[in-house]
Amino acid sequence: MTKPRLRTTAQWLLGIWLLVVAIAAFHWAPTARGFKGESSRIVFFHVPQAWVAVLAFCVNLVASLRYLRGRDPLDDARAAAAARLGLVFSVLATITGSLFAHVMWGSFWNWDPREVSIVILLLIYAAYFALREAITDDERRASLAAAYAILAFVTMPFLIFIVPRIYFSLHPDTLINTRGAMDMESRMFQVLMGSLVGFTGLFSWLYTLDVRLAKIRLARRRREEV
Amino acid sequence: MAVLAKELTAELRGRVALNAVGLFGLTTLIAVAYQIGPYRIADADRPHLLAALLWIILYFAAASGLPRVFVKEEDARTAKTLRLAARPGAVFTGKFLFNVILLAALEAFLVPLYCALMSYGIAGIGPFTLLLACGAVALAATSTIVAAIISRATGSGTLFAILSVPLVLPLLVFLIQGTRAASASAGLAEVLPALRAVTSLAGVTLVTSAFIFPVVWHE
Amino acid sequence: MLFFTAMPGVTVSFRTVGKRFGPRRVLTSVSGELRPGQVLVVAGPNGAGKSTLLNILAGTLRQSRGSVEHLGETGPIERARWFHHLGVAAPDMAMYDELTALENLRFFARVRGVDSSPARLEQALESVGLARRDFTKPLGTFSSGMKQRVKLAQAVLHRPAVLLLDEPSSNLDAAGHDVVAGLVRSNKAGTAVAVATNDPREVAWGDAQIDLIL
Repeated sequence: MTKPRLRTTAQWLLGIWLLVVAIAAFHWAPTARGFKGESSRIVFFHVPQAWVAVLAFCVNLVASLRYLRGRDPLDDARAAAAARLGLVFSVLATITGSLFAHVMWGSFWNWDPREVSIVILLLIYAAYFALREAITDDERRASLAAAYAILAFVTMPFLIFIVPRIYFSLHPDTLINTRGAMDMESRMFQVLMGSLVGFTGLFSWLYTLDVRLAKIRLARRRREEV
Repeated sequence: MAVLAKELTAELRGRVALNAVGLFGLTTLIAVAYQIGPYRIADADRPHLLAALLWIILYFAAASGLPRVFVKEEDARTAKTLRLAARPGAVFTGKFLFNVILLAALEAFLVPLYCALMSYGIAGIGPFTLLLACGAVALAATSTIVAAIISRATGSGTLFAILSVPLVLPLLVFLIQGTRAASASAGLAEVLPALRAVTSLAGVTLVTSAFIFPVVWHE
Repeated sequence: MLFFTAMPGVTVSFRTVGKRFGPRRVLTSVSGELRPGQVLVVAGPNGAGKSTLLNILAGTLRQSRGSVEHLGETGPIERARWFHHLGVAAPDMAMYDELTALENLRFFARVRGVDSSPARLEQALESVGLARRDFTKPLGTFSSGMKQRVKLAQAVLHRPAVLLLDEPSSNLDAAGHDVVAGLVRSNKAGTAVAVATNDPREVAWGDAQIDLIL
């Protein structure tokens, strides 16, 4: 099978997978105890979005480190692509989280530590792009953006893991919890895992598209310079 | 140490950063004390609100002066001269220590005034002082490296706040929590979790800065 | 006149160096070499990229394409260590206005780890034609010509193996120009010198020349 054909097939499979996950989320997985009405179903979308937002952050870090080592403009393009998607998924995670909060506790925003941590991630992405926009020199932009990405990455664990342990959180107990116990019903867990795979695939597809576009732009620029 | 000595000499002659942080802090404190004062906060809200207000005033006063340590070099065109003469490690250490001293001076000036104007009693003076010291180091570490980054971009004035707030927020959370504990109890044990967190954050930031500063400084 | 023995010879080699700032291309495929004992003149009209090229050779700006190597006696020198053997004087560099001329030189001598004795610093300032009475005055009170002289003193204080001068006679009177000419002449034995200029008097110093065009 040729590469374009393989790509098209993978895209169709991804689309079907996500469709199946969406249907399963509403019609196959049960609702969770202790949640109002059908509100627990948002977990199949909210959690993968938050996961992708953090995954994008990690990809951004790796690409930034690679750029500083090899100074390849493509690594800078990879870092920016990951950050763009990370910003989008942070916004989506914030929105879905707010909708859930409104249903459960009657208020879109409760200053819950986990709510705050995803917003801080959003702010970091926004700051990253504000920094990139403020620098006209390509090489300097890439270096400074990479430096900021690394600095932000080392600060985040304090926000994501330590602050919620200090403050009482309204947020439902996570899968990675202090007891090390998995508290999710089997079908719910399967749909959640399916959704995680699907959203990761979606991120991977969009990221690959963005990077391919960047490769074309860089190649065109190199041809112009020659 | 040559860089620190130069910073201190230049600052004592010009007093630009000192005036900026001191006056900004004082103005903010007076505005807060006048509007809120010690009598308009309910007793139940006092512990958290007073701790939070203190660190917000300190942070924004610091933000008005700490970035200058690198921004003034770029504005005065001395950055390139310094870049070509000094090792990155020496530059960062000197400027970081200068910012620690500046913050310590700001705290020494503002904190007693704040406690007096807002009738804020601190039960554990010792642990609180330790928290202030660790907070100064942590805040200076983050502010110095962010200042180095933004000094090489345009619109550096607004960029500092945009870039530093997400990074400083966890630090402020720990400092506020520690201050609450110190105001309520004289013992070190209650403040220890916050102290540990602040120290870890400071350590992590300094180690990361040691790695990324040469990249930021020399491009 | 400041005579000095330079650090061990360093050759700066640059191949197909190009630089763009966003959509604007400033340098396109420039190649050349700075050798110890030679003066390379980089000439061209305003906006041709003379200062940009010198910044790239100094390592304060990264090229968009091409390569720059600083070759010491034992092989290529790591980019992070270039500043050890570089002396640079350029219009976009300044010294500290709050410090005196002597304090400025002392600071730069200390951070470079070279002799910062008062006698040596005073000799350096005298060699660039600064009057003794001005040694202890803050740089903020100096004219642009006087600041340029202190800048030149700073550039050669540590006896660099590579000297990069960007419009060195700018802001200087005839006497100042003679000081710079003497500075360039006196180090030819062991230092690789590059001068970016469109002043015909400075172009005449060159053993080799690169002409940049818009």
